[in-house]
Amino acid sequence: MSQNTTSKQAILAALGHSSINQLNQKPDLSGLKSTRFLQTDLIKRFEKGLNSVTGELIYPDNGNSIDILKGNVAQLISQGMQVISLVDGIEGNQLMPTQPHDLKHIDYAIIQARFAVAENGAIWVDSEQLNGKNVNTHRVLPFICENLVIVLNKDNIIATMHDAPAKMHLHAGDFGTFIAGPSKTADIEQALVVGAHGAFSLKVYLV
Amino acid sequence: MYQSKSHADNATIFCRDENRVDWHSKALWNLREKRDRAAASVPEWEQLRQLGSEIKLHTLSHLGDYLCQFEQKCIENGIQVHWAKDASEHNQIALNILTTHSVKKLVKSKSMLTEECHLNPFLEKHGIEVIDTDLGERIIQLNNQPPSHIVVPAIHMKKEEVGELFHQKLNTPKGESDPTRLTRAARKHLRDQFLSADAAMTGVNMAIADLGAVVVCTNEGNADMGANLPKLQIHSMGIDKIVPDADSAMVLLRMLARNAIGQPITTYSSFYRGSKVDGEMHIIIVDNGRTDIMQDNILAESLKCIRCGGCLNTCPVYRRSGGFSYNYTIPGPIGIAVGAQHDDSNTIPWACTLCGSCSYVCPTKVPLDKIIAHHRRLKAEQGKLPFGKKFYMPAVGKLMSSPTLLNCTMSSARLALKVIPHTLIKPLSGAWGHYRELPVAPKSSFDTWYKHHKAANKETK
Amino acid sequence: MNMKIALFIPCLVNQMMPDVAIATLSLLEKLGHEVIFPEGQTCCGQPMTNSGCFNEARNTTLKLLNAFKGVECDAIVCPAASCLVAAKENFHEFDQSQAAQDVIDKLYELTEFLHDIAPIPAFKYKFEHTISLQMSCHGLRMLNLATPSESMGPQFNKVEAVLQNIPGIKIVYPAPRDECCGFGGTFAVDEGAVSAKMGKDKAHAHAATHAQYVVGFDPSCLLHLDGMIRRQLLPIQTRHIAQIIDAAL
Repeated sequence: MSQNTTSKQAILAALGHSSINQLNQKPDLSGLKSTRFLQTDLIKRFEKGLNSVTGELIYPDNGNSIDILKGNVAQLISQGMQVISLVDGIEGNQLMPTQPHDLKHIDYAIIQARFAVAENGAIWVDSEQLNGKNVNTHRVLPFICENLVIVLNKDNIIATMHDAPAKMHLHAGDFGTFIAGPSKTADIEQALVVGAHGAFSLKVYLV
Repeated sequence: MYQSKSHADNATIFCRDENRVDWHSKALWNLREKRDRAAASVPEWEQLRQLGSEIKLHTLSHLGDYLCQFEQKCIENGIQVHWAKDASEHNQIALNILTTHSVKKLVKSKSMLTEECHLNPFLEKHGIEVIDTDLGERIIQLNNQPPSHIVVPAIHMKKEEVGELFHQKLNTPKGESDPTRLTRAARKHLRDQFLSADAAMTGVNMAIADLGAVVVCTNEGNADMGANLPKLQIHSMGIDKIVPDADSAMVLLRMLARNAIGQPITTYSSFYRGSKVDGEMHIIIVDNGRTDIMQDNILAESLKCIRCGGCLNTCPVYRRSGGFSYNYTIPGPIGIAVGAQHDDSNTIPWACTLCGSCSYVCPTKVPLDKIIAHHRRLKAEQGKLPFGKKFYMPAVGKLMSSPTLLNCTMSSARLALKVIPHTLIKPLSGAWGHYRELPVAPKSSFDTWYKHHKAANKETK
Repeated sequence: MNMKIALFIPCLVNQMMPDVAIATLSLLEKLGHEVIFPEGQTCCGQPMTNSGCFNEARNTTLKLLNAFKGVECDAIVCPAASCLVAAKENFHEFDQSQAAQDVIDKLYELTEFLHDIAPIPAFKYKFEHTISLQMSCHGLRMLNLATPSESMGPQFNKVEAVLQNIPGIKIVYPAPRDECCGFGGTFAVDEGAVSAKMGKDKAHAHAATHAQYVVGFDPSCLLHLDGMIRRQLLPIQTRHIAQIIDAAL
């Protein structure tokens, strides 16, 4: 028997002496799931949640945010920015490199979200989105880019985290993450600084 | 660091600089106030706490089954799972994985478990460079200190002190103390580390049994930056990190950041259900005393903890004594709860007024004050009482149980308070009189008054 | 409804704060209750059990329990929340008999009694002062006298509910509202420096409200604050809730 198996057996055996009541039932969590809100209400709540984590929502009254995004991307490229896009119909000026480390120069990464959560502004991105039109992209993209741009469909906003598991596509071997705003820290005297290791800014285009 | 291991001794030293105590206490109280606002914004907050507690209790009571399910699912996802009975086995497993991959540089994100196991010095001794990447963790690593708080590890340092440290270690301009500019300098420094690391290691906030996935939460993005660049990623978790499923994880995730720092959720809450393409993912499952804790049904509830740090922020003693006074890696109420059995000074269970604020703050309803009181009882039963209690408590017990003896003693004490000048009593009255005025002595005790009062009433009737 | 009430006067109140006991007796009699004071009361054992010394607490706890066993009364009322909590716990710890449970079931802290069991119909006199409430920990978090500031559950405050009907009274709170005063029994001596800093902060927080009195339901905390207020020369005085209520009846 290997050392590792022995330790596993030892831990499991020790758990057999646990004095915790074995009758503790798993609580019923189904009551927490909800679809109580209208879409317009969900969008408002999401914007509030996103703003509270220093993210920005772009959702003009005429609803044409994809054109605004296209215009903004063109402008960024003309300013010499390095832009990579995983979103269909949005063209950046950088291709996915072979090595994830080579993403270090990316100024703007544009990715598609699967869904977002109104209560806290968190946006779920998983392996399928990160692959997008590329077969073999890198998980590090949304973290290593200087600025992150996310495209979100307005039908894909849920009220609370309790509705998330049903929408998270997290297959065996996958990676997925809730992103709530740009990276931040308050480790020096509690002073909030946006842009710790990850993105300095997060813009969400609602389409 | 302190010479003494006694919390009271170290707290006395900490309290000498009153301005610093006020500054420290206020910074942490600020987090408590942010937590209150965040919790109040969730109408079902108390329901979530109850469910959080029930989820954790249920999982702990079926922990063997859930650990096996978790391991099985991980293997199906191509994740390699290791089991470690204790800290040294954990460290050895980590070293073996790293040396197999010829790792020279390891980037780490925050993990209280690896602090508990003293992993960093072990790996460094074996020639591996270890870089802590959370800003607060990096600050204290450069400063050669352990964390003084489990969520904000450098809370004890003033920005000027961080500025001086960065000047020496990262060549920032002398006198620079602006948090934004210091953070930028750290970002630049740590980017180089991320890009040149051979492996990454993270702690685990939750391990989801039915998915075979680990959840890692950070605000800075350091865990994800680390884990997603090199080919090798390692995640260390205590056996208490298991939750049954994603639904359960959501309940805890809704409370974790709100209760820690008043944020609705951490910036990044990442679910790793397998390695990146061509990568390798390892999980080390660690006991290190947790199954011992589970053999005592009161102490066992401390394993419901999700390490939000909320109990530290509210604790009036922690805020006024600092994180280094506890003679254990984890300070504050939860540190006492899970660390008292390792405390050879036998003082940390008494670093508490039993006010109970922590138990009400706790998102999984760990009954911290009851656990701390229980630790005192365990210490007493083991004959390990501090502050001379072993000698004076029997006498107090005897005195208190005898109304006559108590009356005699107290009437002479009252007399002493009245007739002897306070300047003479003060040196004799120890800690009380050192900091406070002595009580004003009443004329007599209530029961004496009552006897006269009743007799007088009878006469008038 | 007039009741027969047995007073439980903890040793600290008996020896050091008899005025609190006298006020309790007086106010209950003014409310028309018959009040008795069973003999042989000792310490509840809290100083020992809070230090983990259960063996040393057994004798005194059981003697106190015996003082109440078989006493004919409707309720046992105590003007000290912390001692009451300890008595309840320790009685149960050392005696699981029905006779012990009968005593435990009759135990009430004074505020709790005046709120839940026998509310005060009306006050007679004004009390035209501002008071800063000392929401002591054990009454708050173990006896549920009010919602602690940590809790997001239903908001209630029995202490304020009892006092607010006194004509002219103005109730304020220190900031933070319900942080521990740092007494903690032997903590005040074992951890003198931290205890003193907590007490100092609390005393200053009460004084900063500009109230004339710090009013509380836990004599031990008031004793601690009194020592601190006088050392810090702060313009505020401590009073027990029984003294305020008695003066207004």
